[in-house]
Amino acid sequence: MRSDDDKLSQTFAALANSTRRAILARLAEGEATVNELAEPFSMSLPAISKHIRVLEHAGLITQGQKAQYRPCTIDVTPLEEISKWTEQYRHIWDASFDRMDNYINQLNNQENKNE
Amino acid sequence: MSDNTISKDAVVIERTFEAAVDLIWQMWTQPEHFKKWYGPKGFTIPVAEMDVRVGGKRLVCMEMQRPDGNMKMWTTGIHTTVIPNEHLGYTESMADEKGNVVSPSAMGMPEGYPAATEVTVLLEDLGGRTKMVMTHAGMPAGSGADGGWNQAFDKLVDHIKAVSNNK
Repeated sequence: MRSDDDKLSQTFAALANSTRRAILARLAEGEATVNELAEPFSMSLPAISKHIRVLEHAGLITQGQKAQYRPCTIDVTPLEEISKWTEQYRHIWDASFDRMDNYINQLNNQENKNE
Repeated sequence: MSDNTISKDAVVIERTFEAAVDLIWQMWTQPEHFKKWYGPKGFTIPVAEMDVRVGGKRLVCMEMQRPDGNMKMWTTGIHTTVIPNEHLGYTESMADEKGNVVSPSAMGMPEGYPAATEVTVLLEDLGGRTKMVMTHAGMPAGSGADGGWNQAFDKLVDHIKAVSNNK
């Protein structure tokens, strides 16, 4: 559990930055080199590389080893983990709305008796 | 990738209730109604204060009876959208009993855990019945509570889906 939590924290932390989200959005369209990723930003190459390392560390992108230009590719697995994490809220809400349903029925019954 | 692997928003629940739209609105916005249904199983709601207008604060306490004493959890937030019988939006963060926001890490949650979440309730009057669509989205620490993260995340997921479908 602990290591799952840590992974999730890494993903959330990696996503909590607009430049990194923009990089991911770009990579969702296909692989790109660091130079290509840097293009839309008024940011130095080392600064972009730093963001890429954070994303890589979180497992959101992988960087090719073979080709000289080492293209980056997106990996959506951590995003799926976020999705699973949110599922626990679904159960809580579903149960709450069941209670709301019952409560509304009670109110409706009371109203009918009073009439 | 199926639509289920990544939901566009965090949690989206659609329900139709056998009740008029104004009653469902009251379920969400009047404390005496809200306390009757809200919260995880086994919890009661001893406190629900809500100043239901844009910018107005909320403070909710959830309490669970346990053999080793009662556990209380407080959340606070701000109403972001208030259109009676149609649209309710509010943020939610962990808090202390005075309504001061407590960082998730101070509550023992790992670093990077969402600092705030946003609940959106959309109601549709079906003539005596009401369709409700509730969205509960997480916002990571450092992203601000403006929902920008969610929009960006939506776009990202849309992109990924579009690309996956084309393959």
